[in-house]
Amino acid sequence: MAEQAGRIPEGVDTGRPSAARLYDYLLGGGHNFAADRALAERFLRAQPNARTIARLNRAFLRRAVLFMVDNGIRQFLDLGSGIPTVGNVHEIARRADPRARVVYVDFEEVAVAHSRLILEDDPQAEIVQEDMTRPEEVLAATRETGLLDFSEPVGVLAVGVFHFVPPEADPRAVVAAYRDAVPGGSHLAFSQFTGDLQPAEMAGIVEVMKKSQNPMFPRTRAEIEGLFAGFDLVEPGVVPLPLWRPEGQNTDDPDRAGIYAAVGRKI
Amino acid sequence: MTPPELATRWMHALTSTAYIPLSHAEIQQELRDALAQLPSSPESVANRLVSLHATGPDSLRVTIEVLAPTFELPILARLSSAYAHAMRLDAFDQQEQIKVAIVRAKQRVERTLKVSQARFREVFDSAALGIVITDLSGRCVEANDALARIVGLSRGADLHDRDLRELYHPDDSERLDAAYRRVGAGLVNGFRDQRKLVRADGEPVWVHLVVSVLRDADGEPAHHVTMVEDMSELHLLQRSLDHQLLHDSLTGLSNRQHFVTQVERRLDGTPITLYHLGLDAFSVVNNGLGHDTGDKLLKIVANRLGELAERKRAVLARIGGDEFALMTTSDTVTSTVEEIQQALGEATFVDDHGIALSASIGVVDRPPSFATAAELMRCANTALRQAKARGKRQWALHDPHDDARRRGRYALAASMPGAWEHGELKIVYAPIHLLETREVLGAVARLHWDDLSHNDTMALADSTGLSLPIGRWLLREACAQAARWVEEFGAKAPSLHIALGALQSRDEDLVADVKRALDESGLPPERLRIALDVSSVLAGDDNAVVLHDNGIVTALDGFRGGHDELAVLAEVPVRTVITRAPAPGRETPLHQAMRGLITTVHGFGVRFAADEVHTCAEADDWHAAGADGVIGLLPALTAAEVTELLATAASPPPAAS
Repeated sequence: MAEQAGRIPEGVDTGRPSAARLYDYLLGGGHNFAADRALAERFLRAQPNARTIARLNRAFLRRAVLFMVDNGIRQFLDLGSGIPTVGNVHEIARRADPRARVVYVDFEEVAVAHSRLILEDDPQAEIVQEDMTRPEEVLAATRETGLLDFSEPVGVLAVGVFHFVPPEADPRAVVAAYRDAVPGGSHLAFSQFTGDLQPAEMAGIVEVMKKSQNPMFPRTRAEIEGLFAGFDLVEPGVVPLPLWRPEGQNTDDPDRAGIYAAVGRKI
Repeated sequence: MTPPELATRWMHALTSTAYIPLSHAEIQQELRDALAQLPSSPESVANRLVSLHATGPDSLRVTIEVLAPTFELPILARLSSAYAHAMRLDAFDQQEQIKVAIVRAKQRVERTLKVSQARFREVFDSAALGIVITDLSGRCVEANDALARIVGLSRGADLHDRDLRELYHPDDSERLDAAYRRVGAGLVNGFRDQRKLVRADGEPVWVHLVVSVLRDADGEPAHHVTMVEDMSELHLLQRSLDHQLLHDSLTGLSNRQHFVTQVERRLDGTPITLYHLGLDAFSVVNNGLGHDTGDKLLKIVANRLGELAERKRAVLARIGGDEFALMTTSDTVTSTVEEIQQALGEATFVDDHGIALSASIGVVDRPPSFATAAELMRCANTALRQAKARGKRQWALHDPHDDARRRGRYALAASMPGAWEHGELKIVYAPIHLLETREVLGAVARLHWDDLSHNDTMALADSTGLSLPIGRWLLREACAQAARWVEEFGAKAPSLHIALGALQSRDEDLVADVKRALDESGLPPERLRIALDVSSVLAGDDNAVVLHDNGIVTALDGFRGGHDELAVLAEVPVRTVITRAPAPGRETPLHQAMRGLITTVHGFGVRFAADEVHTCAEADDWHAAGADGVIGLLPALTAAEVTELLATAASPPPAAS
């Protein structure tokens, strides 16, 4: 993997908790440190349902990828992929079609190093270290991998990441830039925290995360729908995450999920 | 409860405690297998659960709750303790993995820092600018050798720990100090200035300064960076030398080299236009009035064009004795050409001689951005030559297609002698069909080279002067071959037709050449037909008459039906005319006209044939129009192929379908 010496890395400090490792802990993973677990405990006090939400979000990722595979998508761009714990995009997609190709995008040093470790012998998946809110750089690095063919539909995954994108970063422009880089028929899978469903818990989460490296910005359903400009939302639209095309009988209380999900198809 | 029901209940319990990245059906199958295995090996079931990632905080509890009614306590106890052990090992693995990731991330960060430091070091050490980093009190933390040289020291290290203010000229010291403080306080991001420093030997040195601030990790100003450019006399002398290398000493304009680099710089999609000017009849001035006058005139021209260039924000250069070049952007060619002529056309008095000048101009307008500057200069030059060929005060626009065609043709023509020498030119034989009976009348000997047709090959040969030797060779070889056919097949052998190029048709040795070919081969003269290029008879050449007098039947090739050509038919004894006109489709006015033409030709007692006829439909059209024969209906064959055909056919060569 080529060294990118153009940017000075922020450094590695395991004393500062990271959202990627927090998510790993909530999913029952062991790729985390004391500081991450301490943050997770505070998170759980604000939102006792957090483990379920993490599990549901991961399950949504799987359903969304399989939905895209069913719609002919064979290449994926996973934005803010984090620490791949279990059920990674390339594993899910490849069970459906071994030719599937994936480019993961993350910025945090440890998450990137961990992904490299897992993907180092995999010719069809790669991680690029870029800030997903800077699409030009992400797309340039992605093109450099040569893994994705931008003349063919791409499955763009922004699952559980946009609640870390502040309004100043102009999330609509970010989504639009990815949309404009991919051809018609490409898909966007999206999930993010909202205050619409459990306002009190959401406020608690925002408070807990305010002082971390990854403050959070919940969005309303209307705001999320606005991000899908230029996409046709596939049924059932922007919904509480467990209601997005559940597998079999849904047993989870949708309103306690605290998080919306949607998939759109580029017109 | 049946095992499938139990598996379903277990699945629902597990999937609400942990994320298992499989479909429900797949999880159910896994759990069914687990149930079957449980009584004999609860340990392997525990491992399976952990590897499925059924490892949520409540996954074990719900498992025991679901399984308790069906399985004995000792089995569940073994399952629980094996599950706990597997979880421990799994956690160890994951911790191990994340530690490796941390180590790698740290190594990468360090490596990246090293690369970036090395890069900084390289810039710092090799820069032509002096660079010094000072702390906020003005103490030099680091300075490069370039700065040391500017102030008359040998190494950057000599400046270490010294106060940068010691280098300021006393006149400037106070003002500079204040400017640095403003940057250090974060009031401004930096400043630029032109000031004096004092060299080690006490001499002042003029410099450009660019000062900016370096911030620490918390964003607070920590150091100043000062870049220093030497503006001293020595430095200026160097720049003047550079100027001389890039400028014409007579006019002071840019020279060709400088112009080309400026063109290169604009080849980024900017819509540029190049004008290559050649002064008309300048040699007359030089020779008639002397070189001094010529030089004065060139200076005046340079001045006038300079004013024009300034108005148009164009780049101007003198690129040869009496040649200038102008590069404009977003320009209208016709009006600029007019302005140039006006600027030059105003009468000029030099040493009491009134002289009005004009220029021929070659123009390259908005070239594609992939073109190189050298190519553009060449194209402009070619256009200038074309303009000059048309007379004075003319201009010509470079035509990229024309250029490509010309170059392609030159390249081909240039390779022709080699190709001929290496035997790459071949003779092939095309059948002539009689339209009335569809019989093959004879074979036309033709040249074949690469993908070129006979006519193209002949035209190319004409342009290289090779057509005479090649034509003679064709005549000799084809006659020898035709004689062999006569010897072998007698009356069944095809008559030989040879179409000559324009040059050979007019060659005064032609008749001698033909007779020699007949003598050497022994081919009976009545078996040979010579088609002369129609241009030769129009030019009044008598080869057709002399050949006829020697008993050789002739035809005229390239017949277009003009009145001059028809008039010739009355005087020159030819048997046939051959045209390369397109087939006259029936029901078209062309058909009528062609019919009329052919009737006229027949009226002279001359037969009419068409060349380049490749389909039966075209042959039918010609037949309907009254033509007698066509050439090209079957592909041309090599001599060996014709021989083979003659040998196998019962009737004369390639029978028409």
